[in-house]
Amino acid sequence: MVNPKTKRTFDTIQLVIVLVVLALPIVWTFMSAFKPRTEVAAIPPKLFFTPTLENFVELFSRNDFMHNTLNSLIVAVGSTVLGLVLGVPAAFAMAWHRMSWPATATLFARMAPGTLFLLPWLLMFSQVGMVGGYWVLILTHAAITLPIVIWVLLPYFESVPREIVESAQIDGARQDQTLLLVVLPVAMSGVVVASILSFVFSWNYFLFALVLSGIETKTAIVASFNFVGEGVTNWGALMAAAVVIALPPLILTLLIQKRLVGGLAAGAVKG
Amino acid sequence: MAQSGTRNSYRWMVAPAVIFAAAMIVYPFCYALWLSFSDVQLGSDPRFIGFGNYTRMLADGEFWNGLRLTFFLYFMALGAQLVLGTWLGLLLARSQSARGLVRTVMVSPFMLPPVVIGMMAIVILDPSFGIANWILAQVGLPPALWLSDPSTVMVTIAALDTWQWTPFVALIVMGGYLSLPHDVFEAAEMDGANGWFRFRYVTLPLLMPTLITATVLRSVDILRFFDVIYITTQGGPGNASTTLNILAYRRGFEFSELGYASAVMVTLSAIVFGSVLVFARLRKAAAW
Repeated sequence: MVNPKTKRTFDTIQLVIVLVVLALPIVWTFMSAFKPRTEVAAIPPKLFFTPTLENFVELFSRNDFMHNTLNSLIVAVGSTVLGLVLGVPAAFAMAWHRMSWPATATLFARMAPGTLFLLPWLLMFSQVGMVGGYWVLILTHAAITLPIVIWVLLPYFESVPREIVESAQIDGARQDQTLLLVVLPVAMSGVVVASILSFVFSWNYFLFALVLSGIETKTAIVASFNFVGEGVTNWGALMAAAVVIALPPLILTLLIQKRLVGGLAAGAVKG
Repeated sequence: MAQSGTRNSYRWMVAPAVIFAAAMIVYPFCYALWLSFSDVQLGSDPRFIGFGNYTRMLADGEFWNGLRLTFFLYFMALGAQLVLGTWLGLLLARSQSARGLVRTVMVSPFMLPPVVIGMMAIVILDPSFGIANWILAQVGLPPALWLSDPSTVMVTIAALDTWQWTPFVALIVMGGYLSLPHDVFEAAEMDGANGWFRFRYVTLPLLMPTLITATVLRSVDILRFFDVIYITTQGGPGNASTTLNILAYRRGFEFSELGYASAVMVTLSAIVFGSVLVFARLRKAAAW
């Protein structure tokens, strides 16, 4: 038998190595964003430098990046709200009536390649002249947020005691009142997890906006991708853009990190 | 739920979601299926041509190249993530004290936007100015071309996905391990089973349902992997990273061969669903 103390030290060493490997690229990106322009691509790499905001100033002054960031916000909030409006009552009814086929139908969107839907969407939405507007992005991103909302909320709703729902109904509450006033307060933490996951996934999603956005509605993610080509000559602004689009998901997921994995895995485990 | 009135009243609650799913998911899927059986260019009327796109696909070297790359990436990335994720998950389960800080670092990679992963890769892996080759030089290794060499590009992409998603697999494994009955492990230890033997004959079989769950989740994402590849290489150099998803995208949106692109996408979707069905079966068999 190995000495438990030696074993623990060995575990710690392994863990530290893993954490360094995981954190280093992210730390390096953040450091680069604050480096003076001439030092971003310096060889040997500069570990010590005077931090500057010049990359961010350039990013926001030159590229209309503020507008792109606002677009991302509009689309992510819009599709999260739409996902909640559609998904919360549906998930409640499904949990209450133990009916799973609509949930399975939305899971389809989770599994199929996004490219599969993209051509039909492009044809459908260009016929009604919606391509390039906000609604096409909100609607298509809701195809991502709706399954998240439904599958994250199902276990929360299933764990709400049936007695409190039944007693509300005996007292004469309508279903919408029961949901809003009795069930939702109990399942509120589920709604928070679902909202944050929906927002982050919509914010991070690249493909739909790449094809369906217009010049005016381009999201920050797509705008950043457009810098990649020119980024070869301007790494500083590229890294600043990476920091701007990485911060909202990083901050939001910190809030729900304990429930994050369960939320992400929801849906694939059942059935 | 005895009242007949409430029994029907759930319909208005499900109806909006069902209508949305029908309009945005089911109808487009049927549309794509129909497109895959027709000859259609952007702006022209579709013409039904039966299996024409599919027979063309089977004779297309780029399709077979894409299929090969898709599976190459799949087995390499999935294998690496399962092995490393299991090791890291069990390591995390043993070191409870560090869990708070560790979790913060662990969840970061897989919640970053794929575009950020791509930008990081482009800057860090740049052959002349990137820090990756500088580190290689410090330990006396020759520089690598990473994403710009056809022989290393898929390995690099698999490594990027492994960096991003191994922590996710590890957290699933940790959760699965911690929910197992612990007297089994103690009994095995008391019987004098050594570390590898315990892992191989006790831990691994008990973890199998958890590992299959992780496999299903990762399979879906790796098979239809798009963002990071498109951002870093756009399928290049040449065709060296044109997986089926990239091929379908380029044919559909860069060459407007809508029918052909749809056939490739339908085929890829069938592969994804097929893999999910296989693993769902396996999971039922592995659950005790």
